Amino acid sequence: MVRYIIRRLLLLPLVILGVTFLLFFLTQRLSPEMRASLYVKDPRQMGALEEVIRQYGLRDNVFKQYGRWLGQVVRGDLGYSPSANMPVAKAIKEYLPATVQLALVTMILVVLFGVWFGVFSAVHKDKWPDTIARFVSVGGFSLPIFVLGLLLLMLFYGKLGWFAPGGYSFQTDLIVHGPSFKMYTGFLLIDALLNGNMRVFMDVLSHLVLPAVTLCIGSFALMVRVMRSSMLEELGKDYVRTARAKGLAEWQVVYKHAGKNAIIPVITLASIQFIRLLGGTVIVETIFDYPGIGRFGVMAAQQLDIAGILGFSLMVAVLFVVGNLVSDILYTAVDPRIRLD
Amino acid sequence: MVVSPVLQVCDLQVSFMMQKRAYPVLRELSYNLLPGRILAVVGESGSGKTVHALSLLGLLPPAAHVSRGKILYRDTDLLTMPRARLRDVRGSKISMIFQDPSASLNPVLTVGEQLIETLRAHKPMSKQQAREEAVRLLEKVGIADAPARLSAYPFEFSGGMCQRVMIAMALALSPDILIADEPTTALDVTIQAQILHLIRELQQKEKMAVIFITHNLALASEIADEVLVLYGGLCMEQAPAKDLFEDPHHPYTKGLLASLVSMDRRVERLPAIAGQPPMAGEITKGCPFASRCPQAQEKCRQQLPPLTQQGIRMVRCFEEKTL
Repeated sequence: MVRYIIRRLLLLPLVILGVTFLLFFLTQRLSPEMRASLYVKDPRQMGALEEVIRQYGLRDNVFKQYGRWLGQVVRGDLGYSPSANMPVAKAIKEYLPATVQLALVTMILVVLFGVWFGVFSAVHKDKWPDTIARFVSVGGFSLPIFVLGLLLLMLFYGKLGWFAPGGYSFQTDLIVHGPSFKMYTGFLLIDALLNGNMRVFMDVLSHLVLPAVTLCIGSFALMVRVMRSSMLEELGKDYVRTARAKGLAEWQVVYKHAGKNAIIPVITLASIQFIRLLGGTVIVETIFDYPGIGRFGVMAAQQLDIAGILGFSLMVAVLFVVGNLVSDILYTAVDPRIRLD
Repeated sequence: MVVSPVLQVCDLQVSFMMQKRAYPVLRELSYNLLPGRILAVVGESGSGKTVHALSLLGLLPPAAHVSRGKILYRDTDLLTMPRARLRDVRGSKISMIFQDPSASLNPVLTVGEQLIETLRAHKPMSKQQAREEAVRLLEKVGIADAPARLSAYPFEFSGGMCQRVMIAMALALSPDILIADEPTTALDVTIQAQILHLIRELQQKEKMAVIFITHNLALASEIADEVLVLYGGLCMEQAPAKDLFEDPHHPYTKGLLASLVSMDRRVERLPAIAGQPPMAGEITKGCPFASRCPQAQEKCRQQLPPLTQQGIRMVRCFEEKTL
C-alpha cells in the first residue's frame, strides 16, 4: 500500500511535465508581441514591447523557454500574474481556499442527500418516492447551471434579498482584513470559528448557500441516479436474500449489507466530481462573483495572462493526480477485494 | 406415540404476477415435516422447488406471492405472522442455505462479522461472547484455524468453505428446520460429498429437520428419509426414499430413475424423458406431464389427476399401480 502510494506519487511529476508542456506549447501559438502586451500598460509606450520580449527571451526556442519556466517552477516561483496583480503562487493561495470551501460544502450536501435519496428511491422502486426522485434527478440533470444560477440569484437576492453574491459582505471584509482577525488556515469558515467570530462565520456561510446549491443540483442528480441503480443491483443479489433469511432487521439489510456494496461506485463519482469542482466552478463563481480560483482562471485566460494560465493549469493537474490517488485509497477502505500493490 | 410435525404445509399456491395476470408456479402443495427428518424436494428447473423454499420464509421476490394456503410452523401460520415475529423465526428457528455460497455471503463484510451479526440479531450477547461463539461454529463445520479466519473475507474462501460458513451461520442458533436449496450444485463433486456429509452429520447431532431441495435424484436418495417429486409446480409423488427408489409409481418418477446413469451398465445413449418440461406458470388443463408421459390417455389431457394415497405413498396419476 505504502509502496503503491509512493510509486503513484513518483508518477506525478511525469504527468505534470506532460500537461504543462502541452499548455506551454499551446501558448507559444500566440506571437511574442501578444504574450508581452499585458506587461506594457500604456499604449504610447509600444517601444517597450520589444524590450519586454528581449528581457524575457520570448523569441527563444520553445524548449528553452519551457525549460526556463520549469526551472522557476521547481524553485517555487510560478511567475507574476498581471491579471490578478500579484504573484501566481500568492493568487492561488488567496483564491483556492474559497473554492475548496465551496466544493466541500457542495460535496457534503451532494453525498449526504444524493446517497440517501438514491437509497430511498431504490427501496421504494416504482412507488411515489421513486417517481419524485427520478423526476428531480432528470430535472436537475437537464437544467443548465448558468440558467439555474441566474434564476436562484434573481429569486433569492433580487426578490427576497436573502443571499447576496460575492464571497462575504463589506463589513466582514473589514473585520477579516483588520488587525484583530487572525488567518490560521486561509479557510474563512474555519478561521472564523477559530477566532470565535460567529458573525463572520454566518456571513461567509450565507454567501456560500446559492453557489453551493447551484453546483449541487447537477451533481446531486447524477449521484441519485448512480446510487439508485447501484442500490437496485445490490438489492437483487444473493447475499441480500441471505441477510433477510438470517432474520436481520430491514434497515440492516438495506444500509449495512446492500448499502456498503452500493456505495463503492459512488465513491469514484464523488471524488471525480470533487476534483472537478476544485478546478472548474468557473461558471458559478462568475455568476455569483465568488472570489474563488475558477474566477482567477477565467480572468487570466481572458487577458492572455500566460503565467496565470500556466499556474492555474498546473494546480488543476496536481489536484487531479492527487485526487485520483486519494479516491483509489478510499476504494480499498470500502472494498476489501481491492488491494493496492 | 404420535410425533407432531414441526412444519405443515397446506395447499400452498405461489403465483408470479406478470402484466397484471397471476401465473401459479406452485400448486396444491401439502406435506408434513417431522422433527429430525430429512425431506428431499426433487424437481427440474421451473418445477417450483426453489420458489417453494423461498415462500417458507417469506423471501419470495417482489413479483411473486403466496396466493393460497398455510405454512404452519408449530401451529402458527408463517404467512399471517407479523413481520417482526417472522424475523425472529428466520435464521433462528428456520434457517436456510443457498445454491451459490460465494454469492450468498456479503463480499465486503468479514466472515466473522456476518456470523456475529446473525448471533446478535437473535440473542442478547456481547461482541466478545459472539466472537467466541462464532469461532466455535466455524470449528464445528470443519474450518481450520477458525480464530484467524474470522477476519477473512468471503473472496478469500473457496466455494466449499463458503458453504461451510453458510452452514455455520444457519446452525448458529440451533434451528428446528434447515432449508437447503441446492446446497451442493455449485460445488465440485468431491466437495459436494463433504458438504453433504457435513449436513447429514450435523442434522443428526442437532436433531433438526431438513428440507433438502435438489434436482439430483441420486443425491436425494443418499440423504433423504422422504422424497417429494415436483413437476410443473405440482407434487407428482411423495414417498419414503427407499420405496420411491425401489418402486416408483408415477411415470415421471420412473422416467427420472431410468435416466440415472449407472456405473455398472454400459449404454449407447443416455436415457432421457422425451419432450420438454412445461414453462413455469404454464397451466394445462390436464396433467402437466401428459404430453411426455408414455402411458397418457385422453383423460390425462382433460383433467388434472388428484393426489391419491397408494399405500404409504401419495401419487398423482390416474393409473393405479397394480401389484
